[in-house]
Amino acid sequence: MCGVCGIVSWGEAPDLPLLRRMMNRLGHRGPDGNGFYRDRHAALGHTRLAIIDTSHGAQPLCNEDGTVWVTFNGEIFNYVELRDELRRCGHAFRTASDTEVIVHAWEEWGTGCFSRFNGQWALALWDRREQRLVLSRDRLGVRPLFFVRRSTGLLFASEVKSIFADRSVPRAFDPVGLDQIFTYWSPIAPRTVFRDIEQLEPGYFAILDREGFRKAPYWGITFPPQGQEIRQDFQENAETLRERIVEAARLRFLRSDVPVGAYLSGGIDSSITAAVIARYTNAPLQTFSVRFSDSEFDEGQYQKKMSAVLGTQHEDIVVSPSDIAGVFPEVIQHAESPILRAAPAPLFLLSKLVRDNGYKVVVTGEGADEVLAGYDIFREARVRLFWSRDPGSAKRTRAAELLYPWMARSPGRVPAFARSFFGRHLDPGDPAFSHRPRWDSTSVISSMLSGDLRSEIDGASGDDILSAMPPGNEDWDPLSRAQWLEMTTLLPGYILASQGDRMLMANSVEGRFPFLDRDVVDFAGTLPANHKLFGLEEKYILKHAFADLVPDDIIYRPKQPYRAPDAMSFFTPDCPAWFGEVMSERSLESAGVFEPSVVAGLLAKCERTGGENMSNTDNMRLLAVVSTQLTYESLILEKRYGPLERPISDPSVAVDLVTDDRTV
Amino acid sequence: MNREVVEQVLRDYYALRRPDTDPELEAVRVAILLEDVFKIRLSDAEIDAAVLTEVSSVAGLVARLRGDS
Repeated sequence: MCGVCGIVSWGEAPDLPLLRRMMNRLGHRGPDGNGFYRDRHAALGHTRLAIIDTSHGAQPLCNEDGTVWVTFNGEIFNYVELRDELRRCGHAFRTASDTEVIVHAWEEWGTGCFSRFNGQWALALWDRREQRLVLSRDRLGVRPLFFVRRSTGLLFASEVKSIFADRSVPRAFDPVGLDQIFTYWSPIAPRTVFRDIEQLEPGYFAILDREGFRKAPYWGITFPPQGQEIRQDFQENAETLRERIVEAARLRFLRSDVPVGAYLSGGIDSSITAAVIARYTNAPLQTFSVRFSDSEFDEGQYQKKMSAVLGTQHEDIVVSPSDIAGVFPEVIQHAESPILRAAPAPLFLLSKLVRDNGYKVVVTGEGADEVLAGYDIFREARVRLFWSRDPGSAKRTRAAELLYPWMARSPGRVPAFARSFFGRHLDPGDPAFSHRPRWDSTSVISSMLSGDLRSEIDGASGDDILSAMPPGNEDWDPLSRAQWLEMTTLLPGYILASQGDRMLMANSVEGRFPFLDRDVVDFAGTLPANHKLFGLEEKYILKHAFADLVPDDIIYRPKQPYRAPDAMSFFTPDCPAWFGEVMSERSLESAGVFEPSVVAGLLAKCERTGGENMSNTDNMRLLAVVSTQLTYESLILEKRYGPLERPISDPSVAVDLVTDDRTV
Repeated sequence: MNREVVEQVLRDYYALRRPDTDPELEAVRVAILLEDVFKIRLSDAEIDAAVLTEVSSVAGLVARLRGDS
């Protein structure tokens, strides 16, 4: 995994010092080397985290005659099979890297190459003869790719801060992008929270040439019509799912020339990936976990148990609320986005632990909850549907207790809660039936927005996520629609970004996700909904498929969503000085996002309780303000909370056709 | 829908978990499963532990509500 950046200019030759500044800002993504290519119209930059073919495979890398160049972040896990196929087509390879497969695959199949890749990538290809730039991003958005379009060309990079190395790029929030975070938890691609900065949609490629800029999907999330799923045999499906997950985990563990570790959260997903690696490979396994000093969030006993069962070498880090506050500015500088939970901060500390132990690749369980229906939002939707069939029924009302066991201790509150939480947005034909309650509860953040920003949002044309749903979705099972929404919003925009790639790459660690393997995702999409969510049993087929590899008390334990202390992290006696500064009236007015008087009321409320026992909504509101303020200060004002640039070494690839210098 | 299918669904269900200690809540949980899997709708009287515990009575209920019998 690496950092990529580049410039296309139809006027003057791309500015090489600018490219170097852009690369400097991606030093954390690729500390093992760097390189660049420049001709009259394009410049490609690369910072390398060397994982496959560490001695060769430096980038940018070209085809045999130097007419196609690529800068690539990620992994193509089926590169061995593709290389064999391309060799049979007559292509000659100079390295053993997956990067070289990309240029030959492009030559052989054009834009058809992307659907053949099984991996996680963000890449840019420059075709010198055609004077054409091609950008591409993996199916589900594991790797980031941002760009800004200009009349004279385009700038692209793995991270926004790299694009901001160009001082002529305006720095401002996009009001609609902010509003989307304060509703959906993430901006909806191609929008970002920064004005004029776009992100390439997952599963898309884009082309820029003299004819202009255009883009198209090469893959999309889809499901069969309800009742017409071709695979109905549960046992057979469980066996196939297991085969695919085993193969996906093996590929991600074995296709690396450096040691690969694994995360163990204590939940079923990472337990399965670690167990598969332990069972199906011969290599010793090193596992890593994050724990919490607060027992409410800690899953240490399950992590320890799983590690003991698998016989792994295990390291963990115990995170306190003060630790979260201490690193939070750096976390936001890497996330480059407001976030509504503090949960990414412990993962930032965890990837540091991984790196300090000499590892730079980890396999994790991300994606299982989306692909195989593990989240509470799916169970909630099923209960709401059940309840909506007869809202007056006292028995149906009790279904809420199945979601929230605390209700059993307060039976008198159940009917009122059910009416308030479940009793709205009950149109089963609504494609967003599952997500309306979340969007409603999140959008209370909007009540804190400044009048000016509110006016800008109201005056802007928003994006209609529902209109982007594939044709025929009205025939899908309600669970499939909910999965589509989750895989289009929260997964790429938060789980894989602010909580994934950015927290890993901040410490130069690559994450690999077997549950997001092409063959696993495609297969899971064909399954009947009740194989995934069976009644209210989440990830039912997954539990069934791996019941022999994971202890019962982990596989059948009630799901504990990964959470970290939120508001309480910022109201400890040793809270860092930055908190008071970014939350001051002056800073709030400068950023112009939130109404200072409303924020003052929220802060007073938190101070009264030390940030403890806050409601879910107030925790979310506080995190929204803190993280937005830090995004403003660190990205727009470029106030530094950590090293913004990591000076990179001399390039191992330096091809400058403008001055005709070449070092490869 | 034959009885074997209903039995298999219930077997799969019970293989995964221990029943709730509250019989009425357990009946609600089973009702959610049956309504989703078999696309039927149960009345309040049918969402009852006495009706939804015995496999044979559940199979009969599902068959009746689906119009299979």
